[in-house]
Order: sequence, then structure tokens, then C-alpha cells
Amino acid sequence: MASQKIKVGIPRALLYYKFFPMWTTFFKELGAEVIVSPKTNKILKDVAVSIAPDEDCYSSKLYYGHVMALKDKVDCYFIPRFSSGGFGKGHEKNVSCPKFIGLAEVLRSVFPDLPEIIMPYFSTAKNNHGKLKFLKYCFSIGSKFTKNPFKIRTAIKKALKNQKEHYQQIQISVDELQKWERSEILLNEAPNVEEGDVPLKVAIVGHSYVLNDPYQSIEIMKKLTSHGVDCITSEQMPRELVEHQMKFLDFNMYFEYEREIIGTVMHFLESKTIDGILHLIIFSCGPDSIGGELCSRFSRRKPEVPLLQLVIDEHTGEAGLNTRIEAFIDMLRRRKSIKEKKIRRKIECP
Amino acid sequence: MPITFPHFGSLTYVFETLLRELGRKDIIVPNKPSKRTAELGTRYSPEFVCTPFKITLGTFIEALERGATELGMGGCNAYCRFGYYWPVQKLILEDLGYDFRFVPIDYEDPLAIVRTLKNESDGFSYLQTLRALQKTWVKNRFTDLVDKLRYEYRAIETVKGTTDRVAERAFKTIVETKGMINIRKLKKTLPLMFEKEIEIDNSLDPLKIAIIGEIYVVFEPALNVDVHRRLNELGVICETPASLRRFIDIGYKLNPFLKLHREVSVKIAEPYLGYRCGGEAQESIGDTIFYKNKGWDGMVHLYPFTCMPEIISRSILPQISKEYDMPVLSLVVDEQTGEAGFQTRLEAFIDLLYRKREKDRERKITKKSTKPNVSFQTVYGV
Ligand code: SF4
Ligand code: SF4
Repeated sequence: MASQKIKVGIPRALLYYKFFPMWTTFFKELGAEVIVSPKTNKILKDVAVSIAPDEDCYSSKLYYGHVMALKDKVDCYFIPRFSSGGFGKGHEKNVSCPKFIGLAEVLRSVFPDLPEIIMPYFSTAKNNHGKLKFLKYCFSIGSKFTKNPFKIRTAIKKALKNQKEHYQQIQISVDELQKWERSEILLNEAPNVEEGDVPLKVAIVGHSYVLNDPYQSIEIMKKLTSHGVDCITSEQMPRELVEHQMKFLDFNMYFEYEREIIGTVMHFLESKTIDGILHLIIFSCGPDSIGGELCSRFSRRKPEVPLLQLVIDEHTGEAGLNTRIEAFIDMLRRRKSIKEKKIRRKIECP
Repeated sequence: MPITFPHFGSLTYVFETLLRELGRKDIIVPNKPSKRTAELGTRYSPEFVCTPFKITLGTFIEALERGATELGMGGCNAYCRFGYYWPVQKLILEDLGYDFRFVPIDYEDPLAIVRTLKNESDGFSYLQTLRALQKTWVKNRFTDLVDKLRYEYRAIETVKGTTDRVAERAFKTIVETKGMINIRKLKKTLPLMFEKEIEIDNSLDPLKIAIIGEIYVVFEPALNVDVHRRLNELGVICETPASLRRFIDIGYKLNPFLKLHREVSVKIAEPYLGYRCGGEAQESIGDTIFYKNKGWDGMVHLYPFTCMPEIISRSILPQISKEYDMPVLSLVVDEQTGEAGFQTRLEAFIDLLYRKREKDRERKITKKSTKPNVSFQTVYGV
């Protein structure tokens, strides 16, 4: 056994936020050392923007920065070429952004002196990769690290289990959602509200790698909490409800991660149980250009729940964004108090 | 119910043919996209959607103004945004207050193509629909051929404008020819037409450039600022390997002895971009190597602003260009592409190619002259 562990680098960007439990467990169980790039910060971003192709979207530009941050520290990278929405049933048709497929190869071509990149290709959508293919890939990757097939098997098992637990932990149940909609429970720790006031309920929708990266989303969650808002993210939404909404569309929404976003927006426009929706859009993102337009057209047809769309890119100034968010929240507050007054009046003089 | 479809370069003739073969009489052939089309499209489109969306939306608005009520459009369940064009355009046009119906055709699935076309036909059976489709795909082969001839002859014609006139007539002939036997005859008559009627200057030694990239951009002259004509006028022969036939030419697909050009170039591209990621990303990479091996001089790679697949190929192309010593000019195109800037960059690129060709030829000559010496030495030098 080699005395030195193999160091596997995983950039903390894009799909990492969806699949990190699986990836990190898998490599750790195989006996490798997993090095994840640091959280996005200003320096990393500046590097990223200077080396990434100009026309790329902000999120994938940041990916370049994360890759560079790991460059001298790792023996190999793990950058899967992933072209389906997820694993298992219900993902036979849907794909994710084409950039995920090309990313590893682009990096290899643009920076030929990078360490080796492990890039399995997995697609349930077009190539009908099933469980077998998945296992085959896992074993072929695993054999790079250990010769013991049982070790690989346990690694796969644990990885999948952790991933499943992670999903269960983030996604709330329909029951919980309904309770939240009736303001019976809070989803986050207590938002900053004055005594006796009910916090506003806002849904934040966007890609998981935007919502979970405080730097990229300009700390929007924290800001909302400090303004007395209890928020739900599109990631937390129960999957059944999202799929249920998709049935109302007369086309198949085949971008898997856009389904979440549009499903969430449609659900709340329909149910009118919350005060507002905030949509984070990445500038020059392909799926978002479509999803954003769909959401804004839907909301124009059902205007009861206000929708604010914020377009984010590397030049987004924090100050400008703050004012917009504050103005939006003020507007929501006013609407809410007017609504409450109306209800009270109805109760008082029936 | 008048039906229309987007303007799509020379493929416009193919779509028109298809509808005619299906027995439709009420066809509104779209106008060439103009400044106004682009403006209309941009005004109502999402901000950073890819450019073909804007142009097709503009075309639809203009066609609706002319009285169309059915809009034929490609739809798919693919990798990039194209499958969402019609749903989003539908919402936008509905909000603008038009009364219409979309006819989305899932072009990735041959069965779905036939099914949709049957519904849109003039009461045809499946067999009749298939016949109509067959005529269309065979005719599509000829529009591709005419395009190829046109981009070649126009560069070397002696009297400016003859090629365009001939090509225009050739397209008309293709659309109007009826009966499979007559259509098959076009294979011979079309090249003859060009050969006979166009006087060419044999003394020229033109450069050869292939134009690759996203299919709508390379086909639609209104969007690519007519890049083929510009190159032709600079005395360069060009060619576009992209073709719609990879979707509709079922005859080619079923015939084990024939291979679409696309399959060849995808195979070549595999070491660099292993899997399909939508658009023409793999083809762009494969074609660069393909045309290098064919002895062409350079590539012009066009892609719409924010196009996802082509950004991938754009990032990989510099490596290919270096490895294979094949100059590639990548140009991003959108509805505001300035003609002047475009022209200068093309001219600079062509200058570079001329110089490179000179150098390569000189090197070849010196290589040739040193070669006998080497063999002399190796044979007698011991
Ligand atoms: S989905 Fe959008 S933000 Fe994400 S990688 Fe693709 S283009 Fe970029
Ligand atoms: S290939 Fe590019 S331009 Fe064409 S639809 Fe896809 S993203 Fe848009």
C-alpha cells in the first residue's frame, strides 16, 4: 500500500452542490484524500473571470477559478461529464445543461498542463445508461485507487446512501410545506422580526449552485433573514409538487434543474400562499434565459404573487442589489398589511 | 388555415417543398429577415436568449401580420434550448394578442416527424406522407448541392451575378419538379446547368474555406451578414458541411453503404469532445480536422451570442487549430453584428491565409528538393 494517499480535487462549484455527499464519500471510502476547493471569494472570482472564456455564464466561469485554486494541490481532478438530471426513475428524458458535458474536455484543452482529470460520462437521458453502466463507471474509477473490489462496493453503497440522506434532508415533505404555508412552522432559524409580527414568506428560486454559494448569490439568504423573511428555496420543494405542476405545461421541460425552478414558481403562483417570489438568474445562462421568460410570463398572467427577477453576473454591484431587495420587501410588507386590513374589515363588518 | 415556417436560408425551399408535397395550398412563404424582423424579434424576446430565437420570433410576427395562423416549428427533447423555442414564442405571441396554432415537429424522432406531418397534410395516409417526406429529403440533397455549387462558382465567375441568377433558377426548379423520376434526374442536370451557363476564370487560384458552426447561423444569410457572399467576393471558395439531412434524410440513414458527413466528423471529433452536447459542437471540431486533411486552407466558425454548445467547441478549437496547423476564425454573431467590423476581420483572416499558403508551398518545394539528397546519402552513404 502506498504510503501517500492519492489526492482527488473536486471544485466547489456547479454540480458539486448537488452531489457532494456522494462524491466525497466515494473517494474517501476508496482511501483517497479529497480536497475540495475553498469557498468562492473575491480573489478566486477575479482569477476565474480573467481566465474563463468571455461568453461563458458566470457560474461556469467561477468553475474555472475553483479548478485553478486546486491546481498545485491535487494529483487528479474529478469532473464528471454529466448529462442527465439525476439517477433512477423519472430521468429517462431530461437532461442538464450542455456545459456540464463539455466542461472537463474544455478544461483539458484550454489548460493542457492540468493534472489528470477523471471524467466519467453518465447520461440516463440519451444513452440510456442504467444501473449497470453506473456501476461499471464506479468500478473503473475505483480500480485506480484500490485493487479490492469489495472496498469499491462498500464505497458505492455508502456514497449512494449518503446522497439519498442528503436529498431527504433538504427536501421537505408536502405536509411540512402546507404547515409552513399556513405560517405554523418556520423553515429557517427565527428571522429578525419585531414582536408579534409574522415573518414574510418568500420563495427563492434558482440553481442549487447559485443558492448555496453565498458569494455568488450575494448572501441573499442572510439578507432576507435579517429583513424578517422566512424563505423556502426551490431545492427544498417537495418533488411531487414540482412534477405535478409540470403536467400543466404543453411541452416537456427537459432541463432537469429548470424544472425545479419553474415548478416552484408555478406552484406558488397557483396556491398564492406566500408573499413573494425571488428568482435569481445568471446572466447569459442558457436554461435561465428560457426559464426566466417562462416565469415572468406566467407571473404576468397570475399577478397575485409578485415576482422579482434578479440577473447576476460578475459585475453585479452589491449596493444596487440591496436597494432592489429592500424595495421589494417593503412592497411585500405593504401588500401584506393591506391584505390583512381587508380581511379584518370583512370579519368586523360582515 | 395559412401555414408558415421560419426563414432558414436555402432550407426555406425545402420546407416549402415539404408543405406543397403534403398537399397544402395555403402556404405563406416567409420573407427574408430584414432589419425590422430583427428589431421586432429582439423587442419581444428575453434578453440573453440565443439569436436564432429572436430572428425566428421576428419572422413569425411578420408572417402573422400577413395572415398566417399556423406556425410550423422544430421542437425536440434535445440538449440545448431549441426545444423551448416554440413554447416560449407561443407565450410571447399569445401575449401580443395573435390568434394562431403552433405545429411543433420533433425532428429527432423520425416516427414523430411522419406522425406530425400526416396530421398537417391534406388528408394523407401514412404511406402518402412518407412519400412526400421522401421527395423532400431527396430534394434537400439537391438544395445542399446547389448551395455547394453556388459557393464555389461565385468565387470564380467572370461576370458577377451570373451564379446567383443560376442558383435562383436551380432552387425554383427543385421546388417545382414533380415525380420521383424527374427529381432523381436533377442530380445530373443541376451541375450541368452551372457548368454550362457560368463562365469561370481558370487562371485563379482561390483559397478554400469551410464555414462551420450553429446550423441556423451558417444557413441564414440575414443573420450571418451573408458571410458566404463576402468570402466569395473576396475570391474565396467556401462550403458549409452542416445540413438538415441528418434529421430528415431517412433514406441515407437506413442505407448501410452511405454515411452522412456528420457521422464522419463526429467520429473524428471523439478524442476531443467525446459526447454529443447539442448544437453542432462535435461537428465543428471534427470538420476542422476533416477539412485540414482534405487540404483546405482555413475555417470560419460562427456561433450565436450565448449559444451553449458552440461556446464549448469555441473553447476547444484553439487547441485543434494549433495541433493541426489549421487557422480558425471564430466569430460570434448576433442581431447587432456590425458589417464593417465583420468585413475587416474576414479580410485580415484571408490575408493571413494567403501568406500561410505561400509559406507552406515554399516549404514543400524546399522539402522536395532536399529529399533526393537524403535518399542518396542513405543509399550510398555507408
Ligand atoms: S445552467 Fe446556466 S448557469 Fe448553469 S452552467 Fe449552464 S449556462 Fe451556466
Ligand atoms: S445550438 Fe445554440 S443557438 Fe441553437 S438553440 Fe442551442 S443554444 Fe441556441
